[in-house]
Amino acid sequence: MADSEALVKVENLVVRFPITDNSRRTFIRPVDQVSFEIRAGEVLALVGESGSGKSTIGKALLRILEPSEGSIVVGNKDITHIRRRELVEYRKLAQMIFQDPFGSLNPVKTIEQHLAFPIRKHRLASSDSTSNLINELLARVGLTPVEETRLKFPHELSGGQRQRVAIARALAVNPKFLVADEPISMLDVSIRAGILRLMTQLREDFNLAFLYITHDLASARYFGNRIMVLYGGRIMETSASSELIRKPLHPYTRLLLAATPGSAMKGALPETSNKPPNLLEGRTGCPFADRCPHATDLCRDQVPELTEFEAGHLVACHYTNQLAEDNIRS
Amino acid sequence: MDEKTPVLEIKDLSVSYQTPSGFVEAVRGVNLTLYPEEIIGLVGESGSGKSTMAFAVMRLLKGEATVTGGLIKVLGKDVYSLNKKELRLFRWDQMAMVFQSAMSALNPVMTVEKQIFDTILSHRPQMSRQEVRTRAEELMDMVRIDRKHLKSFPHELSGGMRQRIVIAIAIALHPKMVIMDEPTTALDVVVQRSILNQIKEIQKTEKFSILFISHDFSLVAEMATRVAIMYAGRIVEMTDSQTLKLGERHHPYTDGLLRAIPQLTSEDVVIEGISGNPPDLKLLPSGCAFHPRCALAMERCKTEMPIPHPQPIGYIECHLYSEEGSRG
Repeated sequence: MADSEALVKVENLVVRFPITDNSRRTFIRPVDQVSFEIRAGEVLALVGESGSGKSTIGKALLRILEPSEGSIVVGNKDITHIRRRELVEYRKLAQMIFQDPFGSLNPVKTIEQHLAFPIRKHRLASSDSTSNLINELLARVGLTPVEETRLKFPHELSGGQRQRVAIARALAVNPKFLVADEPISMLDVSIRAGILRLMTQLREDFNLAFLYITHDLASARYFGNRIMVLYGGRIMETSASSELIRKPLHPYTRLLLAATPGSAMKGALPETSNKPPNLLEGRTGCPFADRCPHATDLCRDQVPELTEFEAGHLVACHYTNQLAEDNIRS
Repeated sequence: MDEKTPVLEIKDLSVSYQTPSGFVEAVRGVNLTLYPEEIIGLVGESGSGKSTMAFAVMRLLKGEATVTGGLIKVLGKDVYSLNKKELRLFRWDQMAMVFQSAMSALNPVMTVEKQIFDTILSHRPQMSRQEVRTRAEELMDMVRIDRKHLKSFPHELSGGMRQRIVIAIAIALHPKMVIMDEPTTALDVVVQRSILNQIKEIQKTEKFSILFISHDFSLVAEMATRVAIMYAGRIVEMTDSQTLKLGERHHPYTDGLLRAIPQLTSEDVVIEGISGNPPDLKLLPSGCAFHPRCALAMERCKTEMPIPHPQPIGYIECHLYSEEGSRG
């Protein structure tokens, strides 16, 4: 997998929204100069707090939003600004699973109707074989007996079962890439593992690539091959999952890890304030500088570039070398 | 610990909801004792009855929900024997609650100051404005929010700050017991951690007991000394956080939950869900309510409801731990 070509290539992605700040029209940048790649069959976990821009990236990749700057290439096709027909065509390649399985299904349609829609829309099967395809999809996501499930309405299913329907619907077009935006955070604890395992299975069976958006580092480590940490719309750190947990370099990653339940770190959190990041266009310096215990004037003036510290381990911090030494000492 | 008067004593509590299709028991014969300065964690999935139990303790059940049996004593007083006026004074003075949604717990058109003042003055009408102001400022310091935000409206504050205000209001009158129902669920991990650290600090200085309700095992294990695990309206296991971390000798449901959570640091990254779904309370399985999802279920689990079997710490309500059971 290591040397295979990237399926998803994102370069210098910027998403900006107009806002009114003190009755002056200006812009915020929830996503600012973000670049990354996802290979076929790879799971990239995107971790960050609410407002960090992770869902906005997910929406931009699915072209629910149009990027302001930068480019997104999926399967050798530039989809950054495609429209209409091409966009419909693109949805055969990439699909999305949403956080809320109660809101993402239509309450007055049966499960069968939910799955038949994409199949018809994209003419993926003849009308005779549509039914078989629906059965296959339902069996795939573990919603058996399929004959019973097909005729049910969403309200007759539990949260976990509904999320399985949402996954089956995404699979209907036989995509190569899925964006899963917090797919387990609204589910009961006993159900979450089943959904994570199902997604892992699908990744293996179909060589599916995932952008797995989550705020939970533990599940990111479980499901993700790599983890990318986002703060204030910028990437702070990226590396292989276990490496990131074992050897976090960026101060924000360390803060997140310290705060996660089950972490070995006790005592005060390594932060100097709890101010939310400034997303206004034209901000200077590192978005985390206001909260960072290591911040200097340099950090407030200059944006640190995302640079490779070790093979596959990228960090955006002016003081990565010094911080890496801490890791060795502790 | 037994010689102390418990802060909260729940005996054989049952709560039912009236639905068009008949009564549904959401809490089924629950026993729980909370001692002074103790933190008990109550873990369960949605629909397990944990919030219903909390509302029953606060006597806040409304409409279709009623207590159908059992006894709730707070500081030795039967909560349901109080008349309206007594209850109004008792609630918040002795027992308070932090609700899950801070936005709906606060009044959007009142400043923070006014809400704290109202709470204090309705219970301590004799206090002077200056005394109340001093207390309000003290509370703000305690939850580490700048005093200037006393003049703020809830919408001007972040989610974390709002939840801190709700906690400040809950402890305003020095209650002996605070029920916290998923106090940090809607918050980011960093904010969550800093609020939990503060709760622990304040609890140590103010010396109240906490019934800490959450669906998150690792959180509860860090906060609480003893942990109660609830399933389908019953506490199926009572243990302590140490035993929980070791992962030995648990109810099959607890075992299942422990295996279902990806661990942050352990090398063992295999997780496994519990098959099936949490039961529909209207169609509760016979015998042990967990038996249809339990890999270790025996014939008797289908018909006979298990009784609590005492363990070195706490108890487990499962036939495996009976004298004839394999783990007994």
